Amino acid sequence: MKRLWLFLFLLVAAPAWALEVVATTSSMGMLARTVGGPRVKVTELAPPDRDAHMLQARPSMMRALRDAQLVVAVGAELEIGWLPAAMNGAANGAILPGRAGYFEAAAQVPLLDAGQAADRAQGDVHPAGNPHVNLDPARMATIAKALAERLAQLDAAHAADYRERAKGFAAAVEEKLPAWKQKTAGSGGAVLYHKDGAYLLHALGLTLHGMLEPVPGVAPTASHLEALAGKLRGRGGRQGVIVHTPYQPPAGAEKLAGLSGWKVAVLPIDPPAGADANAYFALIARWAEALAPSK
Amino acid sequence: MQRNSLWVAVALALAAPLAQADDLKALREEVAQLKKSYEDRIAALEKRLADAEARPATTAASAPVVAGTGQVGAGSAFNPQISLILDGVYFHDNKGGGSTEMYEHIDGINHSHEHEGHAHGELERGFNLRETELAFSATVSPHFDATALMTVSRDGDVELEEAYFDTRSLPYGLKVRGGKFLSGIGYLNAQHPHQWDFVDQNLPYRTLLGEHGLVDTGLRLSWLPKTGNWFTQLGVEFLQGNEQTFASSGEEIADVRADGAPLAGTAAGELAGKKSGPRLTTVFAKFGPDLGINHALQFGGWYARSSQHQEVHDHSAENPVALVTALQGKGKAWGLDAVYKYDAGRYGGQGNVKLVGEYLRLNKDLKVAFHEGGTLVGTPFDFVQDGFVVQGTYGFLPYWQAGVRYDATGLTNKVDMPSGSPWKGNKSDRWTFALTRHIDHFSLLRLQASRGNLWVEGAKENANQIFLQYQHSLGAHGAHSF
Repeated sequence: MKRLWLFLFLLVAAPAWALEVVATTSSMGMLARTVGGPRVKVTELAPPDRDAHMLQARPSMMRALRDAQLVVAVGAELEIGWLPAAMNGAANGAILPGRAGYFEAAAQVPLLDAGQAADRAQGDVHPAGNPHVNLDPARMATIAKALAERLAQLDAAHAADYRERAKGFAAAVEEKLPAWKQKTAGSGGAVLYHKDGAYLLHALGLTLHGMLEPVPGVAPTASHLEALAGKLRGRGGRQGVIVHTPYQPPAGAEKLAGLSGWKVAVLPIDPPAGADANAYFALIARWAEALAPSK
Repeated sequence: MQRNSLWVAVALALAAPLAQADDLKALREEVAQLKKSYEDRIAALEKRLADAEARPATTAASAPVVAGTGQVGAGSAFNPQISLILDGVYFHDNKGGGSTEMYEHIDGINHSHEHEGHAHGELERGFNLRETELAFSATVSPHFDATALMTVSRDGDVELEEAYFDTRSLPYGLKVRGGKFLSGIGYLNAQHPHQWDFVDQNLPYRTLLGEHGLVDTGLRLSWLPKTGNWFTQLGVEFLQGNEQTFASSGEEIADVRADGAPLAGTAAGELAGKKSGPRLTTVFAKFGPDLGINHALQFGGWYARSSQHQEVHDHSAENPVALVTALQGKGKAWGLDAVYKYDAGRYGGQGNVKLVGEYLRLNKDLKVAFHEGGTLVGTPFDFVQDGFVVQGTYGFLPYWQAGVRYDATGLTNKVDMPSGSPWKGNKSDRWTFALTRHIDHFSLLRLQASRGNLWVEGAKENANQIFLQYQHSLGAHGAHSF
């Protein structure tokens, strides 16, 4: 009987215990879980196997956002094609931009490539800066701390726990970063399909030689690849790596590999759905492994 | 200052052979010091440069935007956000350009609304500029968003398509929209032409609701109840009922007939005055189960009812013996809709599937209020027409989409009166094939061919149409709803 009462009590009380968090990508989900710990229930909207630029708003997103107390977005217009529509359809005032329930990772850290001209002759540019901050562990540590403050604001009773966990994440990053840097020291750098791995290259001090896309959001062209190959050949020195994600078509990378002799690596930019911090670190380690200079 | 001393030192150093050994040593030290100081300064500058490169966003570009909303927006973003859609077609048909006219006059229970001022479908064979869409939207305050959308025709006529506010801070999943807006009924009704998968409006919407679908002035209350894993949206709208196919008020009977003759002396009856609004009420519901990442499904149903509908029939211009008749009563419409989307998760939308089906039915329950012959006043007439559209698109290559649509109107198409059915119309239907190439996020080209079997004035017409369409989206390009 006692057990039954306890069960009923849990049933009634449990929803109030967990903060409903909706994360746009699995990287953001990882952060929310890592910082929120047992106090948050995280739903991820964009699966890691597809392009977060290109998603479409759908009823299941609206449903998840309807009950959310906090949205953790990458921001800087990465999700502009679907998140505003999904939030609009969710009729939940607590998570609109400007409210405590809306958290944007890109707003917590300095961005690369900020202040570009908003000229679409240059493709689908983000004048606010490159939004793909999730692959920079150091920036993610800063974002984790900011997220802890936001969670503390929404759930003051457990503020210390959130801060503690964010600190723990930052400490883990600090501990691991030297090893990743060491691993990739002397690397010939990389060519990316899209500027989605730029932050990690930057964090590791590696050179980004160019993108397969002639301008963001436009598929590789033969003339662009030839120019790029010429640049890579002219450079001499160590060979680097051509990286694209599983959802980006491999043809451009293969063509450039043929022209330049560089090898191709296929790497995701987000950890698996439902990832914890270790899965995220494993993703960074995978990148470091691929970027490491060939022996 | 230091620069000068460097040059002096260099000059002196060059003159060193003339100097004494002590002086030489002192000079060498001085040069070495200067060299070191310069190297240090250069190193410091290089470090500053490297640091600056490492954090370019500490410039004003993002910081002030962040402060306001916790959101990084485009540094160039305007408030309000402005977007412009350019739309043009090359058009050809097998009717000497007359097929668009035929589509306007498909046999059915509604007359075409020529009195609205501009006929939409009117296209010439060859190049046509279609309506340019201009939209403004912004958050007004913490409590309201607002949107205004207008179209400019090729002749420069501006029409306000939508102008409404939305609440943003109501609790419990409630939302109120007010102003002039596209009704939430059905799935396709709320979509603007640039969101369509085909160049033109489908037959059931065109013939039962009008070229734009149901758009009217009023208030909407919508609610998202908590329904577990299911998405549920319920809505109710109170609309004025202005110039809708089944909600039109304030119609007047002219003293002179369309053929120029005065009304016959036997004329009897009159139309009631315009009732105060809102005269059109709609309710709608949408449900969507959670089918995971790749699949999305939504069902909907709706019902709309007008408390007053009036129409005047004056066919004397075409047929001098036709008597002017005016009817009034109530209108009803309902519909069912379903949407399925498959997201293959591949590049450029390759492998994506979208299927849409809608059924609409319209019923006007009217009585003769005025009759030139005087004999029919009070006679009830029951108008019924229905239609459906089924369409699908498939991304067969990155950024390439193939679409097929079958639409039909007038499966039921009749007017009943107690003594029988004075009029029965046939079913008009059409097959449409479209090939869409998304050149980038902001531009598309579409080739569309359709074959319509239309009933116009009781005669069957085969209308074949070909369109080559371009569409460009400038400025803020907001997210599209499901």
